[in-house]
Amino acid sequence: MAKLKTFRIILWIFLIGIVVGSAGVYYVFNMPRRNISKENAVYTLEAKQLISYFKSDEAVATKKYLDQTIAVKGEIKSIRTLDNHSMVFSLEDEMEGVSCTVDSADVVKSSSKLSQFVKGSTGTFKGRCSGMLMDIQVINCVPE
Amino acid sequence: MNKLILLFAFALVFVNAGAQNRFFTKDAKINFNSSTPLEDIIAESNQATTFIDIEKNEVAFSVLTTSFKFRRALMEEHFNENYMESAKFPKAKFTGKIVSPIDWKSEKAVVVDVNGELTMHGATKQVTLKAMITPGKTKVTATAELKVTPEDFKIAIPSAVRDKIAKEVTIKIDAVYAPYQQ
Repeated sequence: MAKLKTFRIILWIFLIGIVVGSAGVYYVFNMPRRNISKENAVYTLEAKQLISYFKSDEAVATKKYLDQTIAVKGEIKSIRTLDNHSMVFSLEDEMEGVSCTVDSADVVKSSSKLSQFVKGSTGTFKGRCSGMLMDIQVINCVPE
Repeated sequence: MNKLILLFAFALVFVNAGAQNRFFTKDAKINFNSSTPLEDIIAESNQATTFIDIEKNEVAFSVLTTSFKFRRALMEEHFNENYMESAKFPKAKFTGKIVSPIDWKSEKAVVVDVNGELTMHGATKQVTLKAMITPGKTKVTATAELKVTPEDFKIAIPSAVRDKIAKEVTIKIDAVYAPYQQ
């Protein structure tokens, strides 16, 4: 009798383990994307500052800012809409400034805020820094 | 005086011609496909920067590896953390030369061979790829395709997932260049 009880308990633990385990695997596999709009910026700075950091030592700046959520403020020098309907706002310099990309879904969500951002105005974008090519790229941006 | 004007005009033409030698874009599309019947693995970035020098027939292309988007967030994480090691090697680069004849004055699409060096994950490899280029005065469009194997770039793929990732990865590029004014 006692043996049967132990067997039952073990069976239950085993079953619960399978359920919890597969739920865990399912969650990790379908892990949600980072939602930048809900994250706090780790660094808040002027676009000019960020540009000078990257220009003085790209490796050090990359190490510090890569994949971090940052908020950058600067003068909007150009606005482009890409084929996939995401928008790119270049701060301080079109070629070698900070390029903030707002994904198409966020373009729709924050359209009223974005419509205030015109060439020559000052804007702040919060996003994920992905490093520097000619310009410093900040992706998954939301306007602040 | 006339000579001076002529000289000035000549200089102007020369400077203008100089400015038109290079075409560029910061919004080139690059995607790769390493799907197998077990798993669809497709990623795309719209943030590649590329130049074409039509005088020297040279091409340069670079992209930040963290700018690639996948269907699943987990794939993105694996790609950046385990395979590309983006924190250590944030960029992928290609520099090459168009080796087939191309008439930049015509506006007809032409298929050319491009020889060059592809660098990613800290490893560099000689590659030859086919590109279709449509020259133009105010814009140049180009599409290209090449196949690479992860092993060529010292990208280690654990044997547990080796069957889920294609042995050969197809990279496709789609760029619309505008004249580059310095």
